[in-house]
Amino acid sequence: MTSVTVGVIGIGVLLVTFLIGMPVAFAMGFVGLVGFCYLVSPGAGLSILARDFFTQLSSYSLTVIPMFVFMGSIAFASGMSRRLYDAGYTLFGRMRGGLAMATIAACAGFGAMCGSTNATAAAMGRVALPEMKRYNYDDALATGTVAAAGGLGILIPPSTIFIVYGILTQQSIGKLFIAGVLPGILLSALFITAVLVLCLRNPSLAPAGGPTIWKEKLAGITGIIEMLVLFILVIGGIFWGWFSPTQAGAAGAAGTLIIGVVRRQLSWQGFLFAIKDTLRISCMVMIVVTGAIIFGHFMAAAKIPLILSDWVSGLQLPAVAVFAVVVLIYLVGGCFMDTLALITLTVPIIFPVVMALGFDPIWFGVIIVLITDMGVITPPVGLNVYVVKGIAEDVPLETIFKGILPFLGALVLTTVILLAFPQIATFLPSLTSY
Amino acid sequence: MSRKIDSLEKFACSCSNWFNWAAGIGLVGMLGLATADIIGIKIFKHPIPGGIEVVAFLGVIVTAFAVAYTQVVHGHIRVEFLVMRLPKRAQGIITAIVSLFGLALFALLAWRSYDFGCVLQATGEVSMTQGIPFYPFVYAIALCCIPVCLVLLVEFLKSVMKAVKK
Repeated sequence: MTSVTVGVIGIGVLLVTFLIGMPVAFAMGFVGLVGFCYLVSPGAGLSILARDFFTQLSSYSLTVIPMFVFMGSIAFASGMSRRLYDAGYTLFGRMRGGLAMATIAACAGFGAMCGSTNATAAAMGRVALPEMKRYNYDDALATGTVAAAGGLGILIPPSTIFIVYGILTQQSIGKLFIAGVLPGILLSALFITAVLVLCLRNPSLAPAGGPTIWKEKLAGITGIIEMLVLFILVIGGIFWGWFSPTQAGAAGAAGTLIIGVVRRQLSWQGFLFAIKDTLRISCMVMIVVTGAIIFGHFMAAAKIPLILSDWVSGLQLPAVAVFAVVVLIYLVGGCFMDTLALITLTVPIIFPVVMALGFDPIWFGVIIVLITDMGVITPPVGLNVYVVKGIAEDVPLETIFKGILPFLGALVLTTVILLAFPQIATFLPSLTSY
Repeated sequence: MSRKIDSLEKFACSCSNWFNWAAGIGLVGMLGLATADIIGIKIFKHPIPGGIEVVAFLGVIVTAFAVAYTQVVHGHIRVEFLVMRLPKRAQGIITAIVSLFGLALFALLAWRSYDFGCVLQATGEVSMTQGIPFYPFVYAIALCCIPVCLVLLVEFLKSVMKAVKK
């Protein structure tokens, strides 16, 4: 058997192990180990297993993961989602669809503290869904808004997906973070536009909320000032070269902790919850990355990325056509697989192809996040939809999926705009040093 | 048999929980050290000696000590939508196979990490700036594989019981 055949069989076996429910990290580690042992030697395979685990777990660049996850978990445990929502409510609450717009704005704000889509959807869902129900919002609109806007969590920095993509492709995590800012704002604006259009077409979907006086508006905005300052410190710190990504994560986590304590919103129980939550998420991510590295060694030994890249280059197809196929792979894969699993499985194989075609690696990272954002709200896996379903138990899944559609349109439009104007993603990173 | 599995499960969960708290201490330490390092660099123009190295080594503690507990709470991501649609017995058989693969992976990792740690100890390999030895952290990875193997063994035994149950 040629090494390529072994590699292709390995990919097939990996997909089978995914489908039978083996944890993604273990599956990649196990298949990668067996494949590497077969192609090189059992001794070399076993040696690489221990070395890869130690090298990855003791890598300073990977410590960015627990730091940013800790920041998000403390923000969650401190109830910062409530204050963000209140601020959004004072701005948009009086308009038709205003609560949905407030939810989107608050999700964008929470995404700036937290790097996970489902954590953002869960945090905002608990606050926003009861309010929208109270004001007789249409179930599809309310649940669809939360599930889709939760996706802003991985586009607006910090983002676990950008971190993992950066590690796997050896791109600057700082530049990836900065690259997500403008597309994140654009997507938030398009989500809000989608709500506006829906409400104009059918005003009964979302009745206007109660008026707020100036004092309440002021209280709402001052309630999030420290979060705004923290975001500027953390992301601005990376942008202006004050911090490395790990330092920025530590500053963000420490700052969030201080805000929670000073505001008396973080209890001891909440702090312990944040620790446990951080350990669970960051351990999961770091073990997935380690599994992907082991699997990547197997793929390299099988020469799959190299041969695939050469083959695609030899096809003489326009770069855009090949890129469209890559996008399709992510779109379909995202419907069936968790975002992190999909990225760790495909990026080591597809990234060399994308580079051979001459695309910008930072821009490609943003495109991947946008496409996988579609995956978290489309059936059958659509993780965010299940998170929202867990909060709004009385709303059928079909209704939530129906509510997703306008936002899916906004995601597609953002992707098309970024394909046409890559500078939206590449301009800010070109100014950064980290 | 079932009672013995329950006792083993209790022990495995308890071990995982203790290890997880050790990881928690590592996490708080990592945050404290990284923050102190930033303050040292930005305000006092003097970083904590070896701060970056220690933060990186704490990464081993934070992750390796949390693997078992993350498995207990089903925190490792997996694709479940297909298996959930299968009959209970088929689910039991598949989970048993999956647990066995995982058990094999972590048993091999424990063995090879221990061996690798012995090599590093014998050769005296240390970090570049502070001369911190690598081997205790590699031994820690080997140690952390034990509760993971226990958790996976319990999962395997319970799945087999589920598969053979009439």
